Amino acid sequence: MKKLGIIVALVAISLIAVQSLSAQLISGFPAANEREAQTALAAFEEADKGKPDPAWQGEKFTIGVYSAGQRGAISGPLYFWRNKFEELTGASYDIVEIPFAELREKIFTDLQTGAGRYDVIINCSNYYGDYIANNWILPIDKYFNDPRMPKWDRASIAPAVANLMKWGDRWYGTNNDHDAQVLYYRKDIINSPKWQAEFKKAKGHDMPVKMDTWEDVLEICDFFNGKDWNGDGKPDHGITLHLRVGGQGFFHFMAISAPYVVIPFPGDPPTKVTRYHNVYWFDPVTMDPLINSPGHVRALEMLIKLSKTGSPAMWGWSLGEAWADFLSGKAVMTFSWGDVGSLAEDPTQSVIMGKLGARGIPGTKAPYDLQQKKFLNLAKPNMVGNQVGCSWHPVISKYAKNPDLCYYFMAWQATAPINHWNVYMGWTGVDPGTTYDWFPPYGKATVQDYVDGGYNADDAKAFIGAFQDNFYNYKIFQNYLRIPGAPEMDEIWDVHLSEAITGQVSPKVALDRTYQDWVRIVADYGKSKLLKLYQESIGYKP
Amino acid sequence: MIAGGIRERIPPFTRGKMAKKEGAKYFFVGPGIIWVLLFTLFPLVYSLRLSFFRARLGMGQQFIWLENYGRAFTDYRFWSVLQVTVFFVVCDVALTVLLGLGLALLFHRAMRGQRFFRSIFTMPIFTAPIALGYLGLTIFHEEVGAVNTVLRALGLLHLPAWFSNPWLARIAITMVDIWQWTPFCFLVLLAGLQSLPAEVYEAAVLDTSSGWAMFRHITLPLLLPVLFTVTILRVVETFKILDIPFSLTSGGPGMATQTYSFYIYLTGLRNFNAGYASALAYLLLIVMMAISLFFFRRLRQIYE
Repeated sequence: MKKLGIIVALVAISLIAVQSLSAQLISGFPAANEREAQTALAAFEEADKGKPDPAWQGEKFTIGVYSAGQRGAISGPLYFWRNKFEELTGASYDIVEIPFAELREKIFTDLQTGAGRYDVIINCSNYYGDYIANNWILPIDKYFNDPRMPKWDRASIAPAVANLMKWGDRWYGTNNDHDAQVLYYRKDIINSPKWQAEFKKAKGHDMPVKMDTWEDVLEICDFFNGKDWNGDGKPDHGITLHLRVGGQGFFHFMAISAPYVVIPFPGDPPTKVTRYHNVYWFDPVTMDPLINSPGHVRALEMLIKLSKTGSPAMWGWSLGEAWADFLSGKAVMTFSWGDVGSLAEDPTQSVIMGKLGARGIPGTKAPYDLQQKKFLNLAKPNMVGNQVGCSWHPVISKYAKNPDLCYYFMAWQATAPINHWNVYMGWTGVDPGTTYDWFPPYGKATVQDYVDGGYNADDAKAFIGAFQDNFYNYKIFQNYLRIPGAPEMDEIWDVHLSEAITGQVSPKVALDRTYQDWVRIVADYGKSKLLKLYQESIGYKP
Repeated sequence: MIAGGIRERIPPFTRGKMAKKEGAKYFFVGPGIIWVLLFTLFPLVYSLRLSFFRARLGMGQQFIWLENYGRAFTDYRFWSVLQVTVFFVVCDVALTVLLGLGLALLFHRAMRGQRFFRSIFTMPIFTAPIALGYLGLTIFHEEVGAVNTVLRALGLLHLPAWFSNPWLARIAITMVDIWQWTPFCFLVLLAGLQSLPAEVYEAAVLDTSSGWAMFRHITLPLLLPVLFTVTILRVVETFKILDIPFSLTSGGPGMATQTYSFYIYLTGLRNFNAGYASALAYLLLIVMMAISLFFFRRLRQIYE
């Protein structure tokens, strides 16, 4: 009897294992449903395929990617398209998923030791400084006219993101993800006459529904926090953020602080980088960190105030938990990446489809002027576009066994039909950033494209519109830190921000500590070497 | 001379056999020696050398004497992680040893289901600490964790912010660590109790019927060497605590749960500052050796 029980249990476990391992294949894709498979098939057929080299038959390479699973952000598309890649080339690839917290150490160790475990790395753009300084990745320009390779449109990428795939004039990465943060909100709540009337009663003026400044956002979040505005009988939240150490919370601060710190050049063009204009990270003359400037401190004070208008638990939240709070209808707004816009359209994760509002990151009327050393008092808010995030994209390791095959895969994934499909399928984590993602006049996508992909038309307009604004309608842009040691700087910054947000130290002390650490890191790497790379990376001409 | 004398008296046939035996010894011991040289001594010596160098990933090495050691004392993160680690050492060691002793005393008597309970109590020790950390996440998660769900059901309005409040985060880690390590103390102390001579107790029964008096004047003094050993092992182990804070809190909020080993890991393996990380590791080694020497000297004093 006991033996029989064991056999039954083993059979049951085997059945469950087999069921969970065998993905559902529709038209050759491990798709969740017929629509997903059919749209992917159409994209596959439309995409340029080049002329795969017959010598690649039976070859295999390895891709290292941040770990999110078979249907997760960034790693998911690698699994999704693998069968088709095998069909096209006769070659295949292994996917090695690495937890975000260990990603840099695994990749850098692999490159430093020359182990060559990863042929292709789906990397965060802030790794470039180390890559270039150590000559760890291969330029890809030589493949652009290679008839074997699929053609992808480099000019279609938003210039700010395209720059992240290059160093100087040379290309190293191919088109994939395009990160920036925008503000998402519940338009049904913000635009509700009932709530607007209550707001006016409580605050003595109209609700600033345009939310042009962070001060407006704070006032609205403060009003809604603790009220049962979703009618479930429980108090709800104003904003939701991910502020756990190691939970990418510093990206929130990056986005919120840009308008407090970055101001335009007063002449023409406003984007000109001078010692005091269009700079955020370091003084481009002395390499002295700007991170504890009064503008940064004021922005951190704002982030702390905002963090008190949501669930207190969010100080310990990572990305997924923060997004879930908004998608499940418990927070009236959040500011985050494009994933939120597309996940809002996924009925398995979201209850807010058709209720999504979005806009570019708000500004402030009181930015800090580094030259005059005082806060300005502007009539119109200072608005600064951002490319906050990793903009995950593939590069080829210099130890790759078959770089040609690696590039074929990268170029094929970068083709417009496949990349656009990845963008409008929310679960892929690939965010919009090319002309075929934008609506006219910025691009050639139509609302119907998104509706076909399962979007609510108004949500698509709001979501894509916010990204278009960010990339094209903001007069100036926050630059991206891509010098050696940048990931280390981000990590220590993240820790100190958490100290301030959880009240262990004041915002000033937290940023002073960051300053001290950055000075040390710069000294370790060599100040003059970093200064030169920094000037190059932000376009500063001494 | 003596050895030679004996050797001369051994017949040549036996001498050859002995030489073979000697060779066999080296054959079997050799791999062990190579293993120790390669994987213990070499890293130890190499990291000592590194600690005198500015050695960062891909940047070559530069001899800087004791600069890395000096830097530690002016590094506020060094002092912060040291304080956090000492907190865990004091709390975790005291509580695991006390709880382990309590359980050992409880089980050191005839009782029904003793084997079953003993097996259950020892289970956490076989779990990987990193897995326990992730399990801790499901228990202490502020929104959906088991603890706060129960507290919410009991009507508590202000739920503990386990991962946002520095002290609560430390307490959460302490609880998970205690859960894992109490069984170790329990097992060792139980073995110690079972090895105590029964005759002493039989004689003591004639003088007193007080259980506390017997514990204080007989059990505790006799068990002291085992208690010292358990304590020193736990102190050494807790000084190295990394996995649970890594998986449960990522060292946060801020640096509130970032321990010394965590900092070495971040410095050496994530930020690739091998020189400074080696110096930090050697400082830890010195502290551990000092504590161990103190403990064992004290133990010797008690028994001499």
